[in-house]
Order: sequence, then structure tokens, then C-alpha cells
Amino acid sequence: MAPPAGQIRPGRYLAVFALIVVVLYALVFFTGGGKATPKLGIDLQGGTRVTLTARSPDGADPSRESLNQARQIIETRVNGLGVSGAEVVLDGNNIVITVPGDQGDQAKSLGQTAKLGFRQVLNATAATPPASDQSGSTESSSPPASSQQPSGEQQPSGQAPSGQSPSTQPSDGTSPQGAGGSGGGAHQQADPGSSSPSTPSSTPSSTPQTSSGAPTPSADQNDQVSQEIQQAKALRQSEDPNIQQQALAMLTCSTDPEHPDPLIGNDDPNLPLVTCSEDGTAKYLLDKVFLEGSEISNAAASTNPNGPGFVVNLTFKSAGATTWADFTSANVGQQVAVVLDTKVVSAPQINQAILGGNTEISGNFNQAEAQQLANVLKYGSLPLSFASSEAETVSATLGLASLEAGLIAGGIGLALVIVYCLFYYRLLGVLTVLSLGLSGVVVYAVLVLLGRWMGFTLDLAGVAGFIIAIGITADSFVVFFERMKDEVREGRTFRSAVPRAWVRARRTILSADMVSFLASAVLYVLAVGQVKGFAFTLGMSTVLDLVVVFLVTHPLVALTARSKTLSSPKLSGLGAVRAAGNQRAASRSTAVKEA
Amino acid sequence: MSNPDAPTAGQPSGDAGKRTGRKESVFHRLYVGTGAFDIVGKRRRWYIFFIALVLVCVGSMVFRGFNLGIDFEGGTKIQMPAAGATGTATVEQVTDVFQQAVGQPPAAVQTVGSGGSASVQIRAETLETNQVADLKKALYDRFQPLGSNGQPSEQAISDSKVSASWGGEISRQALIALIVFLVLVTVFLAVYFERWMAVSALIALVHDVVVTAGIYSLSGFEVTPATIVGLLTILGFSLYDTVVVFDKVKENTRGLLGLTRRTYGEAANLALNQTLMRSINTSLIALLPVLGLLIVGVGVLGVGTLQDLALVQLTGMLAGALSSICLATPLLVDFKMRDPAFKAQAARVAARRVNLARKAAQAAEGGAEGVESTDDESLEEELRRERAMAAAASVPARTPRAARPSGKSARTAGKRRR
Repeated sequence: MAPPAGQIRPGRYLAVFALIVVVLYALVFFTGGGKATPKLGIDLQGGTRVTLTARSPDGADPSRESLNQARQIIETRVNGLGVSGAEVVLDGNNIVITVPGDQGDQAKSLGQTAKLGFRQVLNATAATPPASDQSGSTESSSPPASSQQPSGEQQPSGQAPSGQSPSTQPSDGTSPQGAGGSGGGAHQQADPGSSSPSTPSSTPSSTPQTSSGAPTPSADQNDQVSQEIQQAKALRQSEDPNIQQQALAMLTCSTDPEHPDPLIGNDDPNLPLVTCSEDGTAKYLLDKVFLEGSEISNAAASTNPNGPGFVVNLTFKSAGATTWADFTSANVGQQVAVVLDTKVVSAPQINQAILGGNTEISGNFNQAEAQQLANVLKYGSLPLSFASSEAETVSATLGLASLEAGLIAGGIGLALVIVYCLFYYRLLGVLTVLSLGLSGVVVYAVLVLLGRWMGFTLDLAGVAGFIIAIGITADSFVVFFERMKDEVREGRTFRSAVPRAWVRARRTILSADMVSFLASAVLYVLAVGQVKGFAFTLGMSTVLDLVVVFLVTHPLVALTARSKTLSSPKLSGLGAVRAAGNQRAASRSTAVKEA
Repeated sequence: MSNPDAPTAGQPSGDAGKRTGRKESVFHRLYVGTGAFDIVGKRRRWYIFFIALVLVCVGSMVFRGFNLGIDFEGGTKIQMPAAGATGTATVEQVTDVFQQAVGQPPAAVQTVGSGGSASVQIRAETLETNQVADLKKALYDRFQPLGSNGQPSEQAISDSKVSASWGGEISRQALIALIVFLVLVTVFLAVYFERWMAVSALIALVHDVVVTAGIYSLSGFEVTPATIVGLLTILGFSLYDTVVVFDKVKENTRGLLGLTRRTYGEAANLALNQTLMRSINTSLIALLPVLGLLIVGVGVLGVGTLQDLALVQLTGMLAGALSSICLATPLLVDFKMRDPAFKAQAARVAARRVNLARKAAQAAEGGAEGVESTDDESLEEELRRERAMAAAASVPARTPRAARPSGKSARTAGKRRR
């Protein structure tokens, strides 16, 4: 009876929805490797999560910038653990480290601040062929891409590591060496491989193995990693000159993220160390740490008073200044390495004894490089100090159990809702089930895609969010159906009730979902911790609920209303309401007659 | 434009209900929506009930306080599968091992969950990382807990350590979120509805929070960050419910001042009854998944995020459903009735009733026969716009008979069908 054109319309809505589903699943399967599983949080797949809260000395909120910097540094450290899939994200003033799998226990001690130290350079050679355009300052943060060639192909060692190693001098700017001044070039030294003594001057006194900061993995845990670390220590922190030379020769300084240096952050400051420069272009044999980074009182980048470029001005605390003075006096002409997380960040040459503690590091720095070096020196490695707020290791067993429990809970919840809807709404209940199912289909695709694009991980709280969202989604249908019952009760046919009910219900659904979404959004933006996952899934389901109600449920109901068989009172469960409507009308007319 | 009648307000429709549905049960009346419950009329009783409830809750919060979880006090929690290669671990054995490994007794040891996923949970004061490692090793040596692959593995033991400030941090952020949410929601409600509706909804909201918190205090359920999260999300739900009811109230009372058919209170009560089944249904359907969550959270996993979330949602949803029906609307009526315009209108209604009552029995029926909603015009307009926008109607065109049923034609239709 309806105009032919009218029949197309619900179909059109459904087609739009089908298109959305197709596009979503095309994205799921044909982009990003096509792995159609959402990213699970560590409480569902097992792993370690550490929440570090920034504590600035004055209690003020730490700046975004320093948080980001800290995040990057911690990320480097985490990558140094050699576990795959580890993540470091900012959450408010917190840095959250997640390490999936069983290897994450070490992540619990990654939040320490100071891992900076000064070591004397005993020997330096080129690593695997460095990119030729590497500047001498070892600051470039991007590792050279071409560093994975076999170590046999070393370039002639004369050129490489240190051609432009920065020099150190008192910062009064009047030092004769500094005055030469054409930037870093003037300070270039001969090959440090030959200019530095190639044999260790003395074997350091043996000291207890336990380093202050390095995590000490328990014996048979993290077997592989800890074994690697032990091996690396044995080889590269040996006090035997022969082994040191051997280690120096064997070290490849690969910057391949797949095979990070196991020793990173785990070196013993009281032992000599064979290690690489940060960019992997040079390798060094270093003496033990003679000065800790904590002895630095300040560091700042400034323009070079004696030439182009920038320099870093460094001051020490009193005890540090003394040590520094002693050391520089005794080692003029030698290189001193600034070692951060086991890597040499900079290895300036000592141009003269620096007695006052005010030191200038010059080199071919541009402003950014100088600033970064200054930051490293000033803050240790982290610009903020962190306290571990929450450290959690979830076993794969527990994770699996949680995931199963979540799925079972969702299943039970869904089943209860379906049974209730079928019982209560009959045919409309079937539509509800269909809509819920389609909603689930979309939610899943979005979940996979969000995990891929913005790293959204589904954790247990998120699962709970979805389960609770089942109710909210179904509520939209209820609002619509109950409105329809209102209309039918008023004496309209199922058919004519649908559009009227829809217009009215739409308004209610929109405003109610709006409130629900508002709650989720506020929670997502402001809350910390697991709350975020919960709020996110809840909010997302609310939005998708609207999509489904508008594009699926309403058109389906409209289609149903059009069919004679489907809209029979028996199926729709509206008979009783209809009867009530009739009765009401009848009773009134009787009453009128009575009157 | 008068529609065939639907459930009507208070007294009059009570009559109609008696007349038409003598044999109908309460449930049937609920289902078909003809049930008439005079909630607004008995609002004083409800106020007393709610005031007493809130007082009890506040009292409990003040005097009993809360049972705060590990996240608020700081500490270490270890969880290990109960099933191990050397048999099932018992609480006593675990306590012994803990004592030996750490040198101090644990705060609590309990077995949680059931069946294959049963596990032993240990709570203790904050342990250092190496203490935790030692303890895990000791536990592994003693019990050989089975990992997910059925092999004993030390990695099957989970641990979590929380600093004392973490729970505080979460709560602080949650409180900020709560305040921001309240402000935004007030603005939203004030724009979308009107001032007094916003106020009533907010009072109902505060009631929900207080009562939920109070029940936690009374029952001694453990408060965890997940609880606080759950508390925040029930705000959304509670409002959802209130919005649905107020939407109908708004619809029913549009243009009310120009009519003398019923007072604001009666119109609101009508809206309540009309949305009653909707409220019950939405609450019930929202509760069902939460129930599933609770069953699994408690029965399978033992204590944890799922249970915490489910429990607080369950409590909050019940409180929310109750308050949106029995508190928000009566409050709204009281607020509205302070407005002289509505008072005057109520007086006119009363005068008309008296007038009519004096005339005839029919008059009373006349009072019952009313427009069920007064926004029909705007609805029609919206429908027209919709039809115009889509040259092809998105929904089947209605048959002429049903197109715009006048009271009369619908009545005859009803008769015919009878």
C-alpha cells in the first residue's frame, strides 16, 4: 500500500550500514597485516605493567615536555630489555610501561633517574661502518640505518669514531686551545685509537658485583635475558686486558632494535666497560665510573663564545668539582666519556685541567644537539624523578582466566538480555537480537582497528565496559519499542505507530545517549589508570549504539511493520496492548453512552 | 486533535483501570502500560523514605567509614593458581611459605574462584621487588603451580604492588571527573530541558551517589579504584533513566498552562506511568549483563575488577532506577508548583473539576478523557518535515484511516474491532 519509493528507504539505511561493515572489515583484513584480533591488555594476555608517577621536587605538575622526554628515555630502556611488544605510554602525569609475556619483571626497576656517569676512555675505535655524514658529536638520536654490516668490514680506523670528538675545557673561554675557535673542527684530535693509551692503566680493584641501580633478575627467571646479561658482563666488563681487547673487537654496535644491547642499563659502574657510542658509530673501552652524574649541579647549552655553533656549559657540585679537577689534571689530552644507560653519549677530549668545576664542552653542536646533551647531563637520564605507583605482573594463566571470565560474563549477560527481549517483545525481540549482533560485529571491527591505529588495548575493565554497554544498547531499543506500544495503545496500527514512535523515541535516545557519552568522555579525559579503558569502550559502544539504532533497528522495524505476517499481534506481542487500547476506547464510549 | 485515551493521571485513570481491567494483574497493567500508580501524589511518603535512606547512608559513611582496598593503603598482592604439581595449595601452607620467605606474616591469604581457575591470593604490606622475586621462587619451589600449558611454571604466579598514594591519585582524578561531569551535565540538562528539571535530576544524581557509597559503607564491601570508576559510570546511567522520564514529562506538559485538564503534578504522574515500563525494562535490561558480570566475577574469578565493577553498577543502577522514578519527578513537581503560573493553573484545574463534579457523573469522566500528550502538533510537523525531506518516506505511509486519527474515528475503529 505504501508508495513504491517508500519501500526503498529502509533498505537504503541497511545498505549504508552494510557498507560501513564492509569497509570496516576490509580495513581489518586488508590493512596492517590482516590480523583480526584486538590488542589485549596485559591483564588479559599476561605480562607486566608498571605505572610510574612523576614527582617533581617542588610538587608542581611536571611539564608535558619533560614527561615526553622521560617517556622516550624509558622507552629506550624498555627496548633495551629485549622483550617484544613492550610499550611506554603517557597517562596524565604517569608513565605506564607494559611488557607482555613473562619477561617483564625487570621493567619494574626502569624508572630510576640517574644512570649517568663519567668514565675515562681507555680505547676507542670505529664500529661497523658509520654513515659517513655522521657528525662527530655523538648526539644524533636517529641511529644510522646502515649499521648492520659484518664487523669485518670496518673502515680504516683512522677516520671514524672520533674525528670530531668534542673537547672539554674550562668555560672561561680563554683557554688557548679553545681560542683557535673554528667550531668543532679546531678541536679535532688525531685518532684517539692511537692517541689514547691502548692498554688499561690499572686494573680497578674488584668490587662487589651488585650495582646500585641495575635490576637483579632472580635466578631462574627471565633465564634467557639474564643469561645474556651475565655473558655480556663477563665479556664486556672484564678486568682482564685480553678479554677487553677481545670484547672490543667483537662488539658490533648494531643499532638493530631487534637485538638490543643486553647490557643497557645493567652495567656495573665499578668495572671497566666495553661499549658503543649512542649512535653506534664508535666503540670504546672505558675505565670504571669515576664520577656519577648526580654530581653535576647544572648544565646548559649556550652559543659558542669563540666561534660558530653551540657549547654546553657544565658545573659540578663541590665534591664532584674536586674529583673532576683531579681527574682532568691527571688526564689532559685524554678523552672522558659521558655514559648514559651504558652508551657513550659524548666523549670529549680534555684540553686542560679544569679546576673550578665550570666546564665547557665544545664541538660541532647545533643548538638542538647541545640542548640535548645539556639535558642529559643535567637530569641524569630522566628529566623527572619517578615513583612506582603500581607494578603488576599478571601470569599468562591468570590473564587467560580473566579473558575467559570476561567472555563468559559477556555471554551470560547477552543471553539474559536476549531471553528477556524474546520473552517480552517476541518478534521485536528478534530484531533486538539481530541489532545487538550487528552492533557486536561493528564493535569488534572498531576494536581491532583502534588497537592497530592508536594502540588501544582492551583490558579487563574495558571488557566490563562492553558488557555494561550491552544493556545501554538494548535500552535504546526498549525506548523505541515502548514508544511504539504507546502509539499502539492509543489505537494506531503497528504500521502507523512506527514512524510516530520513531520520531519521539529518537529524541529520547539521542539525549540519553548524549548523557551517557558525556559521562564516558569526561571519565576518559580526566581519569587515570584502568578507568580509561572502561570509559573508552563504554563511550564507543554508546556511539555505535546510535549507528545501529538509526541504521539497523529502525529500518528493520519499519520493514517488519510493512509485512502482514510479521506484524501480526501474535508475533509482535502488541496484541495485549492493542486490546488494552481498544478496551480503553470502548470503555470510554460505553461511559459516554451511559452518560 | 484529541487522541484516544491512554493511561491517564492519578485518580481518573484509576477509575478507568478499575472499570476496564478488573481481572488484570499488576504485571499485565505494567506490560500494557495501563497501570496507574500515583507516585507524585504520594510524594511526601517517598521524600521521607529517601531522606531516611540518605541519612542512614551518610551516617554510615561518617561513623563506619569504608573498607578500602589495597590500592588505597599500598601493599603487595600475589596471586597463584591453587592447583600445582604437588597438589592443591592450602591457605595454611601458603601462609607458612610466605612467613619463611619474607620473614613476616602476610596480611591475608584466601582462596578465590572455583574449579580450574581457583587461585590463592596473598595480601601483604609493600614488599621490595627482590622480596617479591624471592617469594615467588619459594612459592614455586613449594607448590609447583601449573601454568596455562599445564606445566608447572614460576610465571604462573602473578603479583601486583601498589603504592599508598596510587589509590589517592585515582580518587582525586575521579573526583575531578565527577565535578566536571556534574557541571557539564547541568549545562546540558538546563539547555535541553529546563532549569528545574536540571536541578531535580542533579538531586536524584547526588542521591544515587550517596546511596551507593552508603551501601558500600554499610555492607563493608571493599572499595577499589574499580569501584570508584563504576560509581562514576552509574551517574551516566542514572541520568539516562531520568532523561527518559523527563523527556516524557516535557512532552506531556507542553502547553499545559493554557489548558485546564490537569495539573502539572498529574501530567507528570501520567508521564511517569507511561514511562514506568520503559524505566523498568531499561533498568532490568541494563542490570542483566551486570548480573552476568557479577556471577562470573564472584563465582569464577574470585575478587577482582569484574566483581568490583559489577557490584557497584548493580547497586547504583537500582538506586538510579528508583530515584529517577520516585524522587526526580516528584521533586520536579514540587519545584514547578512554586511557580505562580503553575499554581494558578492548578487552581483553575481544581475549580473546573469542582464545577464539573457539580454537574454530572459524566463530568468526572470528562476529566479523565484528555490529551495524552500535547506535543502532537510539533510531532506532526516533525513527521511532515521528515516526509518532505525524504521524498520517499522512510517508513510506509500510513493508511488514511490511521493517518491522523481523530478521537472519534479511532473510537469507532476500536468499536468495530470489538
